[in-house]
Amino acid sequence: MIYLDNSATTRTLPLAAQRVLTAMTEDYYNPAAAYSPAVAAERAVNNARMTFASSLGVTAEEILFTSGGTESNNMAIFGTLSAIRGRGRIIAGASEHPSVYEPFRRLERQYDVQFACVDGEGKVSLEGLERLLSPNTLFVSIMQVNNEVGAINDIPSISRLIHMKAPNALFHVDGVQGYLKIPFSGRDFDFYSISGHKFHGPKGVGVLYVRRGVRFSGGQLGGGQEKGLRSGTTNVPGILGMEVAALEYIKNAEAYRQRMLACKQRLYEGLLRLPDVILNGPPVEAGAPHILNMAFLGVGGEVLLHALEEKGIYVSTGSACSAHKKGKNRILNAMGVTGERQEGAIRFSLSPENTIQEMDETAEAIGSILPMLRRFRRR
Amino acid sequence: MEQVLLVRYGEIHLKGLNRPFFEQKLMQGIRHSLDPLGFPVKVKQDQGRIFVFGLPGQAMEEAVDRLSRVFGIHSISPAVAVEKDYAAIRDAALAMVGRRLERDPAIHTFKCFCRRSDKRFPMRSEDMNRELGHDILEAYAMLSVDVHHPDMQVWVEVREQAFLYSQEVPGPNGMPTGTAGRAALLISGGIDSPVAGYLMAKRGLELSAVHFYSYPYTSERARDKVVDLTRLISRYAGPIRLHLVPFTEIQLTIYEKCPPKETTVLMRRLMMRIAEAWARQDGALALITGEALGQVASQTIESLCVTDDAVSMPVFRPLIGFDKEEIISIAKKIDTFETSILPYEDCCTVFVPQHPVTKPSVEKLRASEALVDWTEMIEKAIKDTETILVNSR
Repeated sequence: MIYLDNSATTRTLPLAAQRVLTAMTEDYYNPAAAYSPAVAAERAVNNARMTFASSLGVTAEEILFTSGGTESNNMAIFGTLSAIRGRGRIIAGASEHPSVYEPFRRLERQYDVQFACVDGEGKVSLEGLERLLSPNTLFVSIMQVNNEVGAINDIPSISRLIHMKAPNALFHVDGVQGYLKIPFSGRDFDFYSISGHKFHGPKGVGVLYVRRGVRFSGGQLGGGQEKGLRSGTTNVPGILGMEVAALEYIKNAEAYRQRMLACKQRLYEGLLRLPDVILNGPPVEAGAPHILNMAFLGVGGEVLLHALEEKGIYVSTGSACSAHKKGKNRILNAMGVTGERQEGAIRFSLSPENTIQEMDETAEAIGSILPMLRRFRRR
Repeated sequence: MEQVLLVRYGEIHLKGLNRPFFEQKLMQGIRHSLDPLGFPVKVKQDQGRIFVFGLPGQAMEEAVDRLSRVFGIHSISPAVAVEKDYAAIRDAALAMVGRRLERDPAIHTFKCFCRRSDKRFPMRSEDMNRELGHDILEAYAMLSVDVHHPDMQVWVEVREQAFLYSQEVPGPNGMPTGTAGRAALLISGGIDSPVAGYLMAKRGLELSAVHFYSYPYTSERARDKVVDLTRLISRYAGPIRLHLVPFTEIQLTIYEKCPPKETTVLMRRLMMRIAEAWARQDGALALITGEALGQVASQTIESLCVTDDAVSMPVFRPLIGFDKEEIISIAKKIDTFETSILPYEDCCTVFVPQHPVTKPSVEKLRASEALVDWTEMIEKAIKDTETILVNSR
């Protein structure tokens, strides 16, 4: 089996799974309770808070634990806008994940919602964004790494632009695909979203960084956990498991990046030897090290996916969240990637667990499948 | 006092000497449908009604819901049975009216419908209507009688016992499952075929189902969707044998060897052949399809002739005269619509020709089909078929 869908989710690190298990079966106490084992659980959670804080170069008070990337993104958007109360413009990138895009669509009635165009590689265009930024802009949300093609947005430059053109705006960065995968660029934003299961942590847990002092009213109400900003019994097993995975990744981050990039390059070269194969997204070394999107002209991406599945190779035609929806790919559309380049698009997403040999096997498998699939084209 | 369900049946009344057979099958259907609730249910038949005893009060609602999907049932009333004594009847009636009023404060008027099947009972129906109405009026001052459009009907039937009820839930009608033999449904995953299966099962047929998939051109989710749809139909039709037939090889061969315009209708012919083989295997005597005249190229009158030519069994097409909207409204009623519209590829758009023939001739299609010897491929598809028993009950 070759698993190349790591942007959808990753295999949980066995050490992290182990930590989840002990947090469930041994130190399972509610950190809000008063006795000493509960206090110990609270300390463990706060240690994890420090781990994530230092990985971002921020303070522990600015870290909220959530149920994952979607909640972090939703909470950043709705929690900010409900605290600001004013009316004005809000801006997101045209290639944002649905967990940003759909909230923005819902806000269209109350706000002047704008989507910043992306270039042919999938990056938010700085010129386009500059034109949209205005003094009455309240909120901007831009993803760090695009989940479908691996384009890396220039967050520091975007941050400077926002400060110049829209000094009142708060800036949210969706870091779900970027966190730990690309070198980090400091505190250029007010909010940052993290999802645990994208770096070998468990599913159902994530982080939202909220800069101290910004106007923010949080998410769900209840028992007042997470400083009253995100109520709900603390997911201790998830948080501690996610911490184990993060520590392991942080320790090896540079080696992981090099390994994934080498694999990505190898796969890319292997695929380019096949006829009628085109890269979607940024040049290989300019994009995120773990995402490669290729178009196989004259083939339906989904058919190729299933044919690869028969050989035990798992890939994706788009983000897993949208694989159930029929119709055109919004993100590739925004990049101007249409027709056969879109229909035949396959996303390969890597993890440090992948090997060069797997890349060769994958390229070879595709090479053997393509002629058969191309023989049967719609006429 | 005992809670019972009073079940009325429709068309069976028209039967003559074999009426007991239909009644037996209906009672069997009722028992099967209520079995999963896990109560020792007694089903009895008496003078054109079926009575279900042995259900506790809290199970009534689900029991009624289940019976509302049992073919052959015209309507169901949750009732109470009391001894044939006016005081007992009156007390039960007052309690029943009280419960209704609690749940539905919009009830202001009522009417009594007393019926005395047991003529040994001393009060005449008319007298009991008057007496009971009077007692209800006295107990519930906010109510008044309206004999034309009452908000609530208070029914009393005096038989072996006295049965009281005030509500009537419609059943699906039709004929009891298992009274009409078996047929095999070609099920695609679209809107039409589940409706076709439902409509034929409603006439008393037991169902087998045959589905064709073309991996890797269709996804595993498309297969799960068909299993889900079959399960939804089986809520009405009872257990269904579902045959999942691998069809890729045949489809690719059609694509390569046969005239492009004719691929769809050729595909239909080969599907019918395989479905017929499975039908024989299951003891089914007919095939069922969801075709509606003129809906697509393979459903013109000429195309249907060409399809029928491939098999010797009769092909039931209950939707033949239906508009799409009519089909959709039934699909919504039987809860298959939402599943049907899930967007998974079914019969692989790759293979749909841009300009299919709309008026194929039997002779030409026979000739095109004869370009290839299908025997082995059909045998292989049948051999590799996966069969599962789908039962939602």
